[in-house]
This record gives sequence, C-alpha cells and structure tokens, in this order.
Amino acid sequence: MKLIGRKAWLAFTVLALAGAACGGSGSASALKSGGKCVPQKTPVITLAAYSTVYDVYGKLTSAFQDQWKTDHDGQSVIFQSSFGGSTTQAQNVANGFPADVVALSLAPDVEIVQKAGLITHDWTKDPDGAIVATTPVVFDVRPGNPKHIADWSDLTKAGVQILTPDPSQSGGAKWNIVAAYGASIRGKVTGYAASSSSDAQNLLTGIFNDVTVMDKSANDSLKNFQSGNGDVAISYENQVLTGAAGGKGDVEVLPPSTVLIQTPTVVVDKNAAAHCVLPIAKAFVQFLHTPDAQSIFASVGNFRPIDPAEAVKANADLKQPALQDVFTTDDIGGWDQLIDSTVFGPNGAFTQALKATKG
Amino acid sequence: MSAQALERIPLDPPEPPSSGRSVRRVRFGRWGLRSVAILYLGLMVALPLAAIVSKGFGGGVASLRDAFSQPGARQALALTIEMAALVALINAVFGTVIAYVLTRYRFVGRRLVSTVVDVPFAIPTLVTGVMLVALYGPNSAVGGFLVRHGVHVIFARLGILVALLFVTLPLVVRTVQPVLLEMDRAEEEAARVLGAGRLATLRKVLLPHLRSGIVAGGLLAFARALGEFGAVVIVSGNILNRTLTAPVLIAQLITGFKPEEAAAIGAILFGLSFGLVLIVERLVGRRERESHA
Amino acid sequence: MMPSQASAPAPTEAVRRPLLSETTSRRLVHGGLTATALLYVGVLVVAPLVGIAVAAAKPGWSAWSATFADPDARHAYLLTGVITVETIAVTAVLGVVVALVLARDRFAGRSLVSAVVNLPLAVSPVIVGLAAVLLFGRGGWFEHWFTAHGIQIIFALPSMVLVTVFICIPFVIREVAPLLEELGIEEEEAARTLGASPFQTFLRVTLPNIRWGLLYGVALSTARALGEVGAVLIVSGTIAGHTETATLYVLRAFDEGKDASGYVVAVTLALVSILLLAGIEIFKRKEEKLVSP
Repeated sequence: MKLIGRKAWLAFTVLALAGAACGGSGSASALKSGGKCVPQKTPVITLAAYSTVYDVYGKLTSAFQDQWKTDHDGQSVIFQSSFGGSTTQAQNVANGFPADVVALSLAPDVEIVQKAGLITHDWTKDPDGAIVATTPVVFDVRPGNPKHIADWSDLTKAGVQILTPDPSQSGGAKWNIVAAYGASIRGKVTGYAASSSSDAQNLLTGIFNDVTVMDKSANDSLKNFQSGNGDVAISYENQVLTGAAGGKGDVEVLPPSTVLIQTPTVVVDKNAAAHCVLPIAKAFVQFLHTPDAQSIFASVGNFRPIDPAEAVKANADLKQPALQDVFTTDDIGGWDQLIDSTVFGPNGAFTQALKATKG
Repeated sequence: MSAQALERIPLDPPEPPSSGRSVRRVRFGRWGLRSVAILYLGLMVALPLAAIVSKGFGGGVASLRDAFSQPGARQALALTIEMAALVALINAVFGTVIAYVLTRYRFVGRRLVSTVVDVPFAIPTLVTGVMLVALYGPNSAVGGFLVRHGVHVIFARLGILVALLFVTLPLVVRTVQPVLLEMDRAEEEAARVLGAGRLATLRKVLLPHLRSGIVAGGLLAFARALGEFGAVVIVSGNILNRTLTAPVLIAQLITGFKPEEAAAIGAILFGLSFGLVLIVERLVGRRERESHA
Repeated sequence: MMPSQASAPAPTEAVRRPLLSETTSRRLVHGGLTATALLYVGVLVVAPLVGIAVAAAKPGWSAWSATFADPDARHAYLLTGVITVETIAVTAVLGVVVALVLARDRFAGRSLVSAVVNLPLAVSPVIVGLAAVLLFGRGGWFEHWFTAHGIQIIFALPSMVLVTVFICIPFVIREVAPLLEELGIEEEEAARTLGASPFQTFLRVTLPNIRWGLLYGVALSTARALGEVGAVLIVSGTIAGHTETATLYVLRAFDEGKDASGYVVAVTLALVSILLLAGIEIFKRKEEKLVSP
C-alpha cells in the first residue's frame, strides 16, 4: 500500500510537470514584464480584428508571410488572429489582450486602444489615414425583396423585422446608425428634412421600433439573418456580397444615400515593442496598402478601394453597383462630434431614439 | 454511466485487517493513498471552489449587485433556469416512459433503442449543436419547412430546448431504469389481484416506488441543463436578452477580460449546481437506506 | 378510461361489460407507450444523427479532402488526440487511487466527499475553465510562481489537460469505487497473508477484478475528453494551429461561415464517439455481469 501511495503521487507529479514542459515551449512566451524583449527565431504577430474579416486577413497574413520569407532569408512569421465585435475587441486589447496589430472597423475604436496608452504614435498621420479598405452600408434582404425595401424610410414601415448589431459592442452597428443619420441630415430621405436633427431622430426611432434583436457583432447579426430570422439586415456591403457568393441567399439593396465605411488597421506600438516584433508589425500594416494587398481586399473580401473617388465606381466583376449619394463621417461632422454629441451623445439622435423605443 | 454507480459509493466500508506486523505497513500505505486523495480533492475541487467564491463574492453583496447589473446577466440566469426546469420536467415524463418500455416490454430492436438512448452520453455536446443546425437550419428540408411556417429552431429558444432535451435524456432514463429493475413486482401483482385498475396501480404502487428515482433523474437533468455550453452555443445564436444562457455569458465575459463579473455569475451557477448535487446525494442515500431496511 | 373490473357480477344484475377486453386494453397501453417512446427517441436522437450525415455528405468529397488538407484541421485533430491520451493516463491512475481510498478507508465526512467527487459531473465546464483562469491566469493566485519558473499554464497545453482531467475523473471513480466495495477485500487479504507485497496484491488481485469497471470508466472518460469544449475554450485562447482542439475548430468554422468544414470535423468526432459507445456498451455489460451474474 505504501508503494502505491508513493508511486501514484510521483506519477502524477511527473505527468503534471511533463505537461507543463510540453506546454511551455510552444506558446508566445516572448513577453517579459519590464526588462528587454527577446527576439524569437519565429516571431509571432497577434492580430485583433473585427468580426467579419476572417477570410480576408487569413489571405493577407499568408501573402505577407510568403513575402517576408522571400525577403528575409526564409524567416517564418506566425500570425495569431482573434475576431470579434470591433468595440469589444478594442476593449479587450485595452484590458490586456496582447495584440500587436488591431484591424478595427472605425476610428473611435482605435482611439480606445490609444487612450489605454498602447498606441504611442499619431496613427491618423499614417499612410491613407490608416484606412485599409472601404465598403458602403447596405441592406441585406431575402431573394426577391418581398418587403420592397429600397430606402431608409422603408425600414420604418410596420411589420418589417430588422436586424442590426449592438452599437456598444459592434463597430458595424455604429456605422449603420451613422448611415441612417447622415442620409437624413443630408436631406436624401423622402419625408425627412435636411439638417433637421429631430427628423433624423424620428427616422432612427422608426427604424429601431422595427429592430427585433441586436446581436453582439456584425458577423453574428449576419448569421442570425442567414439562419432565417428577420426581413432585412443592415450590414456591410462586402459581407452581403460574400454571403451571396457563398450561396447563402443574401441580396444587396443599395440605399440612395449611405455612408462609406472606412476601416483602419494600426500597429499597437507598446505591445509590438514588448514582443520584439515592432518592425514586422509595421511592415505588415504597410503591406496592406500595397496593390497586391488591395487586390486581396477586393477579390477575397469584396471591399472597395481606399480612395473614395474610386470607391463610388461600379465594379461588375465584384457585383458592386455605382454609389449614388455617398458620404464619409467627415462630411457629417467627424467621429468626435458624432460620438460625443450629435448621434451617440447624451442628447444625440440615436440615444434619444433608443429611449423612445424602449419607453 | 448509471446513477446506480452513484448509489453504490459505500457509506460503510469493510473492516481493515488488524493482524500484527501488517498494521504498521497498512497505516503507512493508507496515509500514502490518503494524501493523494486529499491532494486531489484539495487541488481539484476545494481550490477552484475557493477561487470562484472569493473572486465572485469577494466584494460581498456589492459584487453580486455588479454581477446582476452586467447587461443580460439577469435574463441569462432566468433563461437558463427556466429552460433547465422545463427540460427536467419534460424528460422526467418521457424518460420514465422510455425506461418503463425498455425494462418491462420485449420487442424487436429493444437493444438498439437502448443503445440509441445512450448516444447523447457519447456524442460531444458541440456535435449535438451541429446536428441540430444541420437538421433544423434554414438550408435543410426540415428546417426550411419549419421556417416558412414561422417555427424558428436555430437562433431561438426552441433550439435551446431541443438541445438540452437531447443531452439530458439518458440521465433520466438511466436513473429510473435501475429502480424499475430492482422493484419487487409482488406489490403490483397484489394490487391487480385485489382489483385495482391500471391507472390506480400506476398511481398508488408504481409511481411511489419510482418517485425518488424520477426526482433524482429530473434533478440530475436539471443540473446538467443548467451548465450546458457546447450544445447551446452553436444552436442558440447567443442573442443578448433572448437566447443567451448563463454558461455562454460567463464564457464571453472571461474571454473578454472581465473575470470579476464572470466569477460573480459563475459563483451563482456553481452554488445552484452544488446544491443540486447535495440534494441528489441525500435522495439517493435515503433510498439506499430504505431499500436496505 | 374505465378501469376494467375483475369482480364477479351480482347474480341478478346484468354483467357490466367493460369497453375493451383486458387483453386489448393491455395491448393498447403497451403499444401506445412503446410508440411514444420510439417516436420521442426517433425525433430527438435519431433525426439529428441522420441530419448531420446528410449535411456532411452534401458538399461531397471535395469538402472532405479540403478540410483534411487544412493544416489547422490536422493540428486540431492532433491536439485533441494528445489531450485525450494524457487525460486518460492521469484519470486512470488518479481515479483508481481515489476510488481505493473511498472504498476501503473509513473517515469522517464521506458523503460530502462523495458529493465532491460527483461535482465535476454536475458543474458547468465553463465554471471549470473560469476557476482555472482565476487560479493560473493573469492576476491569478498561482500566476507568479509559474511565470517565475517560465511555465505557461493558461493559453497552453497544461491548462487544457488539467481542466479535462478534472471533468473526466468522476467517470473512473464512480465505476471503480462501487466495484471495489462490492468485490470486498477477502481476496486481497488472502494474497497478503500468503506473503504478497501491497503492490503485487494490487497488480495481481485488485486490478484484474476491477478491469471491466475501469475500462468502462476510461471509455466514458475518453468520449468526454474528445468532446470537451466549454472549459477548453476558456483556458486555451483558441489560437488556431496552436491551442485549437477539434471541437474548437468546429466552433470557429461555424462562426466564420465555413459550414462544410465544420460538418466534416463534427462528423468525424461523432463517428469516433459512436465507436467508443460500442466499446462503452460492451464494457458496461461485462461489468454488470461481474457484479450481478
């Protein structure tokens, strides 16, 4: 009995240590708190991205890996990617997720990471203002458009069930709301006066009265729609096109006036430096602006070009229609104003609209 | 796996040998084994429990309040408990019927049905969710038909219900079956001879005997359904305030770097599960004592 | 339904004929219950199995070969295999040790210990993962010690094995402990009086006796380890190609809309589980024969 006791104890300890040893060697353990970082032979870049771009960044990272290998004596770079609602991802990084690069869906989410002290350079001065891809906000409807959705005002009709994500977690959600707001403010929605913030608020109230559920990310919202729920999902055009190409039954309806989503990808200086991968991270972000990467954004991701003047054009191969009235957030006051006052502020159009629908 | 095994963990172990020389050796060995067992219990159970409770309730009532103020927390807990209770009730009924049919009747394919009942024990829970998406998703014949008629299974509460019914069915069947097997049919036969009808026999003889087994099975199903993750996460869509269950919420909070909130909700869920296990132990222990009396 | 009366009629009264004869009503009940049971099991368990078989076959061979060619999928299978093997090794050894102590030892609070042993079965795997992160993750109780020694627990293999062992060990204990108690210590006492050392006694007498129960418990453990998703999701960080198990791969596949790959891996997991189920049934029957011949 004595031997069994000792043997079992020993066996367990050995197994536990063996397990620990096996685990310890394979992970990203270049991070040392304080002190200098240790460059790895096979560096690891951790990417935190928003929810709908897994395919695109899968291809982009692999193209970058090939290019890096050729240019750097066969050195392999490993990418670890995590995808989720843009705002949630930004908060995760601010709370400690060790991302070296963040690919988010709107500038304010990058600011969350910056405010946490993790981005130390002025990223708005990055090439192309850090924007790597664009796509307009559109409506995703059922084949045949049975509810005849054509414009923002159609979303306020009774009996239309709308899916859009939760703006506190998803970047795409904020884009959707800003698109409706901007179209109304610019006077492009019939029945809603230009420059009237109360009219814009009414439009949002009407829309959110019909919103049946707010998923936690743009991806979740799309999958919810694809699983048969709802009559229309407000979404990124590129997602609708990807779904349609994949035979999921998505049909794009382009509103007469909509916002051009501009998605920034930025290096997280502090984390990248701590992991000893700052030069590689910078090289990756630079790569995203090259023609090779841009063609991947288009062919794999169904995105539009970075330059708004190019983005409005139709692209028959990708089934992208010409944009009619399209605006950026700068055209309607800029993100700071939108977030702090006009739309998401305490008296903002959306904040008030949501209160009205709940009441 | 059977609840039979649950019963058979003995309360009165046999007397240890007490002859001379071997006593000292046995005592050493006993402590050797005991230390491993204590280490296991301590490391594997006491420690995690302490961590969760201290993190979750460390701030006292305030941390509980924080937990409930987390968006969706209250609804998630309510939904989880509601679904688990419903599932326990439904499977208590159907599981008993199936146990009865498997035990008392002979028919072609009985062995096969018995094995099929065990399938949920073996199949990974995530695969259960995937199977339900395959069957009831909009792209399948069955799913498409249902969606057209307004019945949503995937990304809806019905899906959660079906998933939980699937995983808990064998728990009830395998808890009730041993009781049925052990039952002395003399009482039933006596009742029939004395003129009692089938319904009366059922109510006055069969069900009272089976009661503790059915309740134990139902409670086990309830506890299991409370904590189910894999089957639910794929089927439900995890929509906040709609189809988001407590286990999924906890997972989201933890992977979202919110350990305190996760621990607070986790402590509540853990408390419920542990309480249920204790109740089942008492029930089973009581039945053991009754049957040995 | 009128209960059929077996009493003899009074001589001058007309015979009150029951609506249905005893045999017919018995057959109706028999048939009705069996049909209910079969229908329930059919719709709940069999239909989804068929559903996933169809969904996996639909995309055709190309989907299968593409998935198996994916290095992430291959690594996921490998990782699941490694974790399962390590888990079985630890649970078999530790499970038998704890079972020995439970069955052969006397100490206070045994029913509490029994509840604690069964706890991992009732507790959500998400709670298990949460506890692991609270103990070994950032700001955890043991984080400092492990980081100082350069050992990575969370977001790496050790935590994944640890949580799986925690969850699977009850399966072994619950089968072996009752078996040990039922088998008694006479044979072991005899061996020791004949001069065998404790270890020899264990190897030559105890182990062969508990063989089928142990195998049954190990088979259940294996099925559970293969399918673990909740706890592993939380502790692993789900880094594709590094800490992504087969189940986590399926989860990600469905999240990214790559349903075909998800179905492929899910079906392979289901097939392995069903094979295990066959083994489980065989071991269970052999164990039951041993206990009640």
